[in-house]
Amino acid sequence: MRIEERTYTKADHLRPTGYVLKSLIVTFKGLVRATKNRPCTVLYPWERLVYPDNYRGRPGIVLERCIGCARCARDCPNRCIEMVEVELPAGGKAKRPQVNVGRCMMCGNCAETCPVNAMIVTPEFELCSYSRADLIFDPVKLQYPHKPGYEVNYEFALLSEMKKGGEVRTYAKNDPNVHDNVVLDAPKCISCSRCAKTCPAGAIEMAETGELNPKTKKPIKRPKFDTTKCVVCEQCIEVCPKSALSIKEVL
Amino acid sequence: MTDEMWINMGPQHPFNHGLWNLRVKLKGETITAAEPIIGYLHRGWEKMVENRAYPQIVPLADRLCYGSSLSWNHLYCLTAERLFGVEAPDRAKYIRVAALEMQRITSHLTWLMAVGTDLGSYTIMTWSIRERELFLDLLCKLSGARMTYNYCRIGGVRNDLPENYERDVNRTLDEFDRRLRDLEALMDENEPFLMRTLGIGKMDGRTAMNLGLTGPILRASGVDMDLRKLDPYEAYADMKFEVCTHTDGDVYARYRVRMDEMRESMKIIRQALAEAPAGPVRVKVPRCPPKGNVVCRVEDPRGESLMYMVSDGTERPYRLKVRSPNFVNLSASPPMLVGFKISDVPAIMGVMDMCIGETDR
Repeated sequence: MRIEERTYTKADHLRPTGYVLKSLIVTFKGLVRATKNRPCTVLYPWERLVYPDNYRGRPGIVLERCIGCARCARDCPNRCIEMVEVELPAGGKAKRPQVNVGRCMMCGNCAETCPVNAMIVTPEFELCSYSRADLIFDPVKLQYPHKPGYEVNYEFALLSEMKKGGEVRTYAKNDPNVHDNVVLDAPKCISCSRCAKTCPAGAIEMAETGELNPKTKKPIKRPKFDTTKCVVCEQCIEVCPKSALSIKEVL
Repeated sequence: MTDEMWINMGPQHPFNHGLWNLRVKLKGETITAAEPIIGYLHRGWEKMVENRAYPQIVPLADRLCYGSSLSWNHLYCLTAERLFGVEAPDRAKYIRVAALEMQRITSHLTWLMAVGTDLGSYTIMTWSIRERELFLDLLCKLSGARMTYNYCRIGGVRNDLPENYERDVNRTLDEFDRRLRDLEALMDENEPFLMRTLGIGKMDGRTAMNLGLTGPILRASGVDMDLRKLDPYEAYADMKFEVCTHTDGDVYARYRVRMDEMRESMKIIRQALAEAPAGPVRVKVPRCPPKGNVVCRVEDPRGESLMYMVSDGTERPYRLKVRSPNFVNLSASPPMLVGFKISDVPAIMGVMDMCIGETDR
């Protein structure tokens, strides 16, 4: 776009109307407007702006929902989430996320990846502290009163359905019908049942295959996966001593 | 009779925004040579992302430039999409265009703030920061953060537009249109500002092209190069807008080009939100891309930014190279500075919109 050409001569610059008055008029207009539209500022510690519910401050957790799948710890770009053992109110111990907020960059990926919406984004951003130890939020300290807007939900479409065209269906986050599946390479399996013990969602069951072990004459048990319960945390894949498990992506 | 001497302007100096050093050789008050020294903010970004999975790099790409984080975020996602061989849904493309143009306006307003303080007008700074807040609120509503949005995803965007978003945006644009006129009055009617910018830092189009300049600085020298027109990505091919150019090639022309770009951005935002088709905003992408490499370039608020990504078939990139527009623009600063007075340095370097985060990476 061609802007209208403006020419300025030295005399123009130095004339008092140009130099002083014009600038003063602009400033005076601003002064009048600012006075009319008072107040223009917020007295911060006493008054606060209202932030939208999806505002991403530090991560928070709803402990009742958490199943300890460690997906947040795996997907954190800064690796500031660590799984620590806590005592459950119902008795027993389980692993729950502990967040080093000093390293957290408030990207909200942990809340986005959480399959049960236990990790939430909170509007808390005043996190200054005198010591670094105070910035390590253990699972109890990490708790935050929950509101539906704090959860991060998204909907996605599948690539194969997009290519087909027509009306494209969208699926909610972690829809059990379309999420990735864990598949077993049966000949590698030694029936150690470590995957079933590790699974935080209780989606793996050691089921008899009907075959008998030729040496011991006992029935062979293999893991059976319940896809509706599975949250694709991949802990079974990590724990498998024979690398018999792998992920089959649904695209 | 004076000897020539080198002066270090930086690493801590009121005129340089960020941590870098400009060494200038002076004869009296006239600059005879200049040498920018960078590297104070080198974080090893390119190496760092080689140890992250593809979706984890998205929030890190935000941190390349705090002033226009969404455009880097988007560039990374676009490059990764081409590497994965997927394409974002149509609705996501339009939302991205609207968000990118809002980001362009905030980036230009941040630049205006910096120019205002450099040239000694505190009012320009406070006003442009106040106007920027309008768009930060909109982007905060959209993505949940004020500066590092983490909004684009590989295969679309994070979430759909919130309720009544188009109405809010159009109201804000109407208000901003009025306020932009005030800002222009503050600059264009300001004789000291004109005296400090007109005819300063001249560079003709041929030299600018040879030095590899891109963005508003190149367009101010009369070259109408804009990747949104020349190599349309996302939904820019459907948008009606003009490429803002100016023929003078001085500091004032660069200022004018950026102010006009804000107007064009406003047009694009209105079009993108009005024409956005219904549909999904995100597709699921595989974890590992096929082997190969891809180059992708977009028009950043500061110029042409480029990413080159090599994949070895695993879930982490083998190499990710970033071409920052500011890095190239900064290397072209000595020819602009030579021959002018040392008091012109803030004006010449100020309109460059320095961002050390993306220059040093």
